[in-house]
Amino acid sequence: MVFLAIEQYLFTSVLILYVVTMLLYVLYMILKKETISRIALIVQIVALVLHTLAIISRGIGAGRLPLTNQYEFATAFAWGLSLVSLIFILKFRFHLLGAFASPVIILIIGYAAMQSKEVKELMPALKSGWLGLHVASAIIAYGAFGVAFVLSLIFLLRDKMKAKGFLDRHIPPAAKLDVISYRSVCLGLLFLSFTIVSGAIWAEQAWGSYWSWDPKETWSLVTWLIYAVYLHLRIFAKWKGKPAAIFATVGFIAVIFTYIGVNTFLPGVHSYK
Amino acid sequence: MKFAVILLVILIISCVFGSFITQNQTLSWYTEHYSERVAAAIIALHLDDVFHSVWFLVIAGVLCLNLILCNLTRIRPIIDKIRRAGKAPERFEGYLKISGVEDPEDVFEKMHFPKPAADETEDGEKRLFASKNRAGLFGAWICHLGILLLIVGFVLGQLTHREYTVYGVAGETKTVGDTGLFLEINDFQVELRDDDTVSEYRSRITVYSAKDPENRASSEVTVNHPADLYGYRFYQNSTGYAATVKVVKEDALLQENVIAAGEGVRIEEKPMLTVFLQAFYPDLFMTSEGPKTASGKMDNPAYLYSLYYGEDLLGMNVLKEGEEIRVDDYVITFSDPENYTLLQVKKDSFTWMALMGGLIILIGLVLAFYLQQENLAAVREDDGTWTVYGRSGKGSVIFKERLEIAAGKPAESEE
Ligand code: HEM
Repeated sequence: MVFLAIEQYLFTSVLILYVVTMLLYVLYMILKKETISRIALIVQIVALVLHTLAIISRGIGAGRLPLTNQYEFATAFAWGLSLVSLIFILKFRFHLLGAFASPVIILIIGYAAMQSKEVKELMPALKSGWLGLHVASAIIAYGAFGVAFVLSLIFLLRDKMKAKGFLDRHIPPAAKLDVISYRSVCLGLLFLSFTIVSGAIWAEQAWGSYWSWDPKETWSLVTWLIYAVYLHLRIFAKWKGKPAAIFATVGFIAVIFTYIGVNTFLPGVHSYK
Repeated sequence: MKFAVILLVILIISCVFGSFITQNQTLSWYTEHYSERVAAAIIALHLDDVFHSVWFLVIAGVLCLNLILCNLTRIRPIIDKIRRAGKAPERFEGYLKISGVEDPEDVFEKMHFPKPAADETEDGEKRLFASKNRAGLFGAWICHLGILLLIVGFVLGQLTHREYTVYGVAGETKTVGDTGLFLEINDFQVELRDDDTVSEYRSRITVYSAKDPENRASSEVTVNHPADLYGYRFYQNSTGYAATVKVVKEDALLQENVIAAGEGVRIEEKPMLTVFLQAFYPDLFMTSEGPKTASGKMDNPAYLYSLYYGEDLLGMNVLKEGEEIRVDDYVITFSDPENYTLLQVKKDSFTWMALMGGLIILIGLVLAFYLQQENLAAVREDDGTWTVYGRSGKGSVIFKERLEIAAGKPAESEE
C-alpha cells in the first residue's frame, strides 16, 4: 500500500512539473532567453523520470503491470507522449516542440486525474503477457501520433502566423517540420500495427477469436487505415505540407476517439464494465 | 494507387457505419431507434451486419485484387531500382552536392555508410561510391504481401471455421457438436481471491473420438491458455451456476437432473409441468429490488425457481437450501449447487495465415520506414579536393542536415 501512496505523491508532483515545464516554455517565448529553454527541458526530463517512477511504484503496489484500467492507461499515454516528444526534441534539436507538447501532456494527465485510481484485481482474461505487450506498444503508438499531431499544429500555426524573428529561428523550416511529423507517423503506425497484432493474439487466447469487429478493434483499424491513406497520399498525390498536416490531425482525432470515445459511446469487450 | 486510396476510404467509412450502428438487430429494433425510413435503409443496405455483408466482402476482394496486381507489376521495377541503387550512376542527377571536401572517407564513416568502392571513369576520374539499406526498397512490397495474406487468411477462416460450445459440470461427458468427439469434464474450479474476485477459471478435460474411445487426451484449460486436442482448440469461455433438481412422489425418487441457471426440466410423469431454475444466488440477501448475492462463496445458497403448467405460470419464488416446492403429489427440491464450465471448441485452419500476414506487415513496415535507401559518392576534382554527392529516398531535409554536419560544409542540389 505504501507504494500506492508514493505513486499518488509522485503523480501530483509530475502534474505540477509538467505545468512548470509549460510555463517555462511560455516564459522562454516571451523573454527569448536560451537558458530558460534549457531549464524547461531539464524540468521535463525530471518530470519524465518521476513519471516513470510513479508508474513503477503503482506496478509494485498493485503487484502487476499497471496498464489495465482507464486511469493507468491515461497516465501511461501521457508518459508515452512525453517520452516520444523528448526523443524528438533531442534528436531534431527542436526545443519549442516541448512548448506545444506539454499542454497536450497536461490535458491527458488531467484526464487521468479524473479517473478512478482504485487498484482492482484483474479478471482472468486480463492476465496475459500479450496484453501487456499490446498496451505497452499502444502507449508508444499513441505517443508518436500525439507528437505528429503537435508537429502538425505547429506547422499549421507557422503557416498562419507567417512566423518571423524568434519563432522563425526556433521552429524548424516547414519542410523539416513536415518530415519530422511524417517520421513520427511512421513510428506510430509501426507500433499501432504491433498493438493490433499482439491484441489479436491475446484475443484469440482469451476469447477464442482473434478479430470480432468489436468497436474498439474496428476503430483501431479505422485509425490504421487513416494513417495508411496518409502515407499513400504523400507518395502519389504529393500531399505533403499543409494537407498532410491536416490529415495527421484527423488521424489523431481518430486515435483519441478509439481511446476515449469508443468506451464512452459504443459497447464492447474493451469497456470491462 | 489512386483507386487503392479510394478503396481504403470506402473501407474506413464502412467501418464507421459498422461501429456506430448497433449490429445484428431486427427491423423493429431499428425502427424503434431510428426513423422508419432509416431503419428500412439499414436493412436494405445490410448495415445491420456490415462486416459479414456481401458488399463488404466485395470491397475486401477488390482490395486484394488490387494488391495482387500492384505487387505483381512492381516486382521488376523494384528489382531494377535495387540494382541501380547498388551501382554508381554516370551523372549524379538529383543528388545533393558538397564541394571542396578534404577527406571523403571520413564523411562515409560519419554517415554510417559501409566502406566505399573505388573506381575510375573512362576519362580517369577517381570516384568513391557506397549505398546502404537497399532492402528497404522492398518494404512497401512486403507490407502489401502481408496485408494480402492477412485478409485472405481471415476470410478463409471466416468461411471454413467450425465452432461449438459445450457446457457441463464436473463428471459429465458431452458430445462436441457433429465432430464425433466426446468431451469429459473431469474437474472445474472457480478460484477466488481473498476479496472474492475471480482469479481463474480452471477446467480439466478429457477428449476422445467416438471411433477410437481408448485413445484419450487430457488437458487443463484456463482463460488465457486454450488446449489443442484432436485438431480442435478448447477455450475456457465462461461459467454459470447449475444445480440438481430432484422430483419425489410418495417418498420415491422419480427423477434427478442437473440443470444450469436459465434452464428448465419437465416432470416426466406429467409433461405439462415444467420447473425452471431462473437464477441462483450463492450468498443470498434480499434487497428492495429483489434477491442479490453478497459474494461468490456458497454461504447462503438460494434458488429462484418458476413453475409452469403449459404456458401458465403457477408460481415463482426464492427457495433456500432444504426448502421444497409442493405441487400436486410431487415434491421438488434443488440441491448441490455448483459451477458449470462453458467451453468453446473451435477449428480455424487459416489462423496461421492471418498471423503470418500480421508478422509480415510488421517486417515490411520496419523495412519501409527504418531502412531508408541512401547513396553516397565522392569524385576527385583536379585540385585534389573531393566533391561529395548524396541521395536519400525520403526525408531528404534531414539527410541534408546530416550530410552537412558530416562534411562540415553546406550542401547544394545538383541539377
Ligand atoms: C489496395 C491497396 C493498396 C495498394 C494498391 C497500395 C499501393 C502502394 C504503392 C504503389 C506504394 C508505393 C510503393 C513504393 O514506394 O515502393 C505503396 C506504399 C506503401 N503502402 Fe500501400 N497500397 C495499398 C494498401 C496499403 C495498406 C492498407 C497499407 C497499410 C499500412 C499500406 C502500406 C504502405 C506502406 C507502408 C508504403 C510505403 C510508404 C512509405 O514508405 O512512405 N498499403 N502502396
